[in-house]
Amino acid sequence: MSLLANQEAPRVARTSRLTLANRQALTGYLLVVPALALLLALVAYPFFFAISISFTDRVVGQPGNWIGLDNFRYLSQNPSFLKTIQNTIIMVVVSDILKLFIGLGLAMLLNQAVRGRGLMRAVILLPWAMPGFVAFLVWKLLYMPIGGAFNQILTKTNIYPEIIDYLGQRSTALPAVILATTWRGFPFWAISFLAALQGVPGELYEAAKVDGASSWQRFWDITLPSIKPVILIVVLMSSIWTANSFENIWIMTQGGPSDATMVFPVLAYFGMQSQRLGEAAAVSVAMIPALLILVFFVTWLVEDDD
Amino acid sequence: MSHSSSPFLRRRRTRRQVVGGLAGGAAAFTAGSMLPGTLLARKAPAVIQASGPLTYWGGLIFSDAANEMLTDTINQWGSDNGVETEVVMINQNETNQRVSAAVEAGTMPRALDMGLDLALLLSTSGQLQDVSDIYDTIGAAQGGWHESVDGAVAPEKFNGIRAGVPFGAGGNVLFRRQDILDEIGVTEAPATWQELSDVAAQAQEGAPGVYGLGLALSNVGDANLMVSALQSYGGRIADDEGVTCTISSPETMAFLEWVNAAWEAGLFPPGATTWDGAGDNTAYLSGQAVFIANTGSVSIAAQTDDPELFEATAYSALPAGPVMQVAPIGPNLRAIPTSTEDVDTVKALLEFLAQPEFLGEYYKVAIYGPVLQGQDEMEAFTSTPVLGGLRDLVLNGTAPGAPDVSNTAYADFNSNFTVPKMIQRIVVDGMSLEEAMAEAQTSGETIYAKYG
Repeated sequence: MSLLANQEAPRVARTSRLTLANRQALTGYLLVVPALALLLALVAYPFFFAISISFTDRVVGQPGNWIGLDNFRYLSQNPSFLKTIQNTIIMVVVSDILKLFIGLGLAMLLNQAVRGRGLMRAVILLPWAMPGFVAFLVWKLLYMPIGGAFNQILTKTNIYPEIIDYLGQRSTALPAVILATTWRGFPFWAISFLAALQGVPGELYEAAKVDGASSWQRFWDITLPSIKPVILIVVLMSSIWTANSFENIWIMTQGGPSDATMVFPVLAYFGMQSQRLGEAAAVSVAMIPALLILVFFVTWLVEDDD
Repeated sequence: MSHSSSPFLRRRRTRRQVVGGLAGGAAAFTAGSMLPGTLLARKAPAVIQASGPLTYWGGLIFSDAANEMLTDTINQWGSDNGVETEVVMINQNETNQRVSAAVEAGTMPRALDMGLDLALLLSTSGQLQDVSDIYDTIGAAQGGWHESVDGAVAPEKFNGIRAGVPFGAGGNVLFRRQDILDEIGVTEAPATWQELSDVAAQAQEGAPGVYGLGLALSNVGDANLMVSALQSYGGRIADDEGVTCTISSPETMAFLEWVNAAWEAGLFPPGATTWDGAGDNTAYLSGQAVFIANTGSVSIAAQTDDPELFEATAYSALPAGPVMQVAPIGPNLRAIPTSTEDVDTVKALLEFLAQPEFLGEYYKVAIYGPVLQGQDEMEAFTSTPVLGGLRDLVLNGTAPGAPDVSNTAYADFNSNFTVPKMIQRIVVDGMSLEEAMAEAQTSGETIYAKYG
């Protein structure tokens, strides 16, 4: 038997069309299949399903009919739609810039050997750890025209004697929402940057010091390039989160006054209120191109950096 | 409120006796149901309860006592009848969205509370069970449904079915701070919207920090009160057939001139354009508003939390406009989705919740007017002014949507807060009255066009 086996083994090997490398690759693909299937089921299916119903007149409980671009045409006629695009862009860009400066500044501060650093790192996470609902409700109370903390401080100290309706007038509503959104989101940036900063070798700074580099030069030529990939990823993620954020707007202004703070998720939610799923899906789908451009741009920057 | 503290639930023994008697057979039940005011409670029929608990979405109102009483009563009924129940109280400003998601996800509750607009939308898409049988039984047992309520839920408006069992009539009553008005010599309620804003301005002058008109102008259901005001000026949302949007009119312009003048005079509290559903309640309870239009929740809260304010408050019907008085009633329904399997069990629960013993106690702490003629003399409506006002509204108010046709397009129009948004365009964006009206007309046309 053993002789026979020994003789047949090379024949099997000769007839196999797969090389060792191919067999390993095949095994690899097979191992990936479950994850891929899960991804398709949980991400791809809902994504393409949403796109497909945006081309229908589907209402709650009924399948709907194909209506082509009618929902998008209706959307473009909505007086709030252009404002929604504008508000979303402003909110993402301004809050990202604010979070970048605050987050980076705090990360650099917490990266120093200062007293109470551990406590400060924990405290800084509080806005991020707090449930969004609570955080934005608190901000709403702070902004209240009558009895709100900001107005109380300004009127009692006579800094500004008139009541300001922060959330109720067009000029201040969006900035007020952006400020609250920034407050809630900056800890993620700070902690991410702090983690990146801790990975920058100290020798680089020492060598730069020896070469006479100023603080600004060390920041610009060592710190920033070292943490650039993290910055880009954080910008990408935070931009997507901010563009998709709902609770901040809904709790504070519900998209108002008028359409001063209307953003895509709230507009879609109003579609849901009327049970018009096709229109609601169209609103969500309308923001996908902008987010895709952002994703590709940042990915390109990261790869370019590599 | 715990089980034991609920006056209704304290009568458990009697109720159980009656339940036992009635559950004995259909003949006994029929005999009992023929007597006005007789308890209609019956045990859950001997059907297999569908898998999982009997989930009930109750409409959250601004009265903890009422919310707890409803929850406790349903759970007690479940406990008495061996039915596992789960009550979830839903913010009524969120019901539409919650229901939309639940229908699509196939996670609708077995029964739920809803307003007429949502019932219209859901019945049109075939999402609700016909409950004609228990509607008729309950009506026959308690003196018949009020005509206004019966008309509001007529099957021809709801895809040919009785879409739900009315359990309370909602509607707005004008609240006024009589203590402030006394100081300026105003003893009677304002009869017209113009008079309202005139008195509000006068009252505001004499009471610094207080605003005349605590009326919402934001994207919430409360702000649709402005639709009634618009209609009382002669404006119409749509034509007599309810098919074509006709909001652009000289009458609507007259209404907009009134509301804009009131805004310019500073009569609306700051924040009114972004208030949530509790905005007017908060404004009145914190002493910031002289007038508000409210369903009664403020009175319930004041009675407990601020007796002084409660005593200082007087109530009246909504003012009239130059053309008519529009004071719509809006019956709230308990409905059963078509996805519910154990319909008989759920119907038994809804019948139980229609008992005068329960509703008599519930109305005392809730914000609803009566829906059945047998409820008119309940203590809640004879001893509490604001609830008495709601009863008057049921007897004398206008039909939902009237003079417009209350159909699906009208419900959709209101779900989009088209009239409050038109006002916001003027007072927030500084748009001219003509432009804002033209924009609302375009939005309305688009909405009505979808329903042919």
